[in-house]
Amino acid sequence: MLRVNYFLLFFLLPLFAISQGSIGSFSPDETVFYAQTKQMNQFFLRFNGEEDIQGNRLYPGDPGFRDLKARKGYVKMLFDQSNTSISDDTKFVFIEQALNKKNPIFLDFHGGSWFAEVSTTFLYKKEKVTIILYLELEKQNGGYKWMFSNVYFDRFESWFTHVNDTANLKFFIHPMSHELDFMNLHKVFRDPSTLDYYLKKDYNPDMMALFVMEMKNNNLSFVSVDNVKFHIFQVPGWYFEVSYFNRNEMNSGWLISNILRVTEQEKKELLQHYSRSN
Amino acid sequence: MRKLLFLIIAVTFSTVTFRASAQDNLSPQRKQAIDSLALEKVRDLSKYISIIGDKETQWSDAQRVIERAVELFMESSEIGVSSLNRQDVNYYKVREYFDRLMQLNYSKVAIDWYKIQYVSDLERQPDGTYVGVITVYQRFQGYDKEKGLVYEDTTKKDITVYVKRKETQIGGRTIGFWDVMLGDIRVKETSK
Repeated sequence: MLRVNYFLLFFLLPLFAISQGSIGSFSPDETVFYAQTKQMNQFFLRFNGEEDIQGNRLYPGDPGFRDLKARKGYVKMLFDQSNTSISDDTKFVFIEQALNKKNPIFLDFHGGSWFAEVSTTFLYKKEKVTIILYLELEKQNGGYKWMFSNVYFDRFESWFTHVNDTANLKFFIHPMSHELDFMNLHKVFRDPSTLDYYLKKDYNPDMMALFVMEMKNNNLSFVSVDNVKFHIFQVPGWYFEVSYFNRNEMNSGWLISNILRVTEQEKKELLQHYSRSN
Repeated sequence: MRKLLFLIIAVTFSTVTFRASAQDNLSPQRKQAIDSLALEKVRDLSKYISIIGDKETQWSDAQRVIERAVELFMESSEIGVSSLNRQDVNYYKVREYFDRLMQLNYSKVAIDWYKIQYVSDLERQPDGTYVGVITVYQRFQGYDKEKGLVYEDTTKKDITVYVKRKETQIGGRTIGFWDVMLGDIRVKETSK
């Protein structure tokens, strides 16, 4: 029943819109644009029940502010409904847990534990490559800014594939090398492609350092942003991903494209992927 | 100057619950007043785009309107454009974008703005300036003399809005006001 009500409300949206101030006078069917989650800002507000059906911001004390029943309808609509890998059961359990009466969860723009993933094109030594940048909000001087928290570039990863290679019986510095003032090091460095065999088994390369170095050495130059999505860890016991769906449907814009139930330990491990400092 | 005075008066006296800008959050009333100013700028921009794109507009008039349009923006603002069949984004300086719009090779152009608009919250940057995003939708139609309608798209425009607290002297009194400027714009073709 709730679902039917929300569909009805979305169909009625253009009627509400007439009462709002507007940029233009062009009047085709705008239903899709009203229903669409147009900005991440709107995703947060819809999730929290801090926006009415007309898209007006609700503040504490306003009727309907953070109304639990309305939120349940909104959050259901914030899932990508074309994604069959997210089961109705998962959605139901997530909504029940995140929006439980006693301790409902609200997403907090300034609350940390959420990351932007930006897929970009760079030129690496004149060759077009894809690099994934991760960004996190950081507070400074009472304001906020997005900061790079990590980077993924398959070329960097390929330099370290032999770290902790337990099958390696060929590339090592023998244990008495110190007695020879490590005179055998020149053999190690003769072939740079095998260098990663000689790194400690728990060595964790700092990809961001490599990225900065390659940028500053002018080996990398930025071309374009290709895609953006977000990873949100603010709901206890859950991780979810939000992507932009550019389609001519009411279920479009910024929507939940992936969701996982995770333990705190799993969350910690996932977070390391997005930010080295976690 | 008259416009500036109007802005000062409108923002200084439109609400009585003014709070100092040093606070992290703007009051909802203050936010609404600033939203109206920002939307006014976006309306001006949409009007200018329609005039610049209109093939009936004389070249000299279009140039004058481009000047007015550029004045709405912070220096070094860019417009990032992508289409459905191209994933990468083309970035243009604001003036370059308007010049290209003026020179489009159609015999007639129709630019219509949808009624819908969406205004984000304003977030404070480290330098104290507030930043928000206004989303609007535009339909573009390009006509050829013989073939008629040859190109049509609807684009989502996410427009950055910067809001800064400034002060000016009027009659020996220091009066604070909020200055609103437009910034980068992301233009995305919407699905047909």
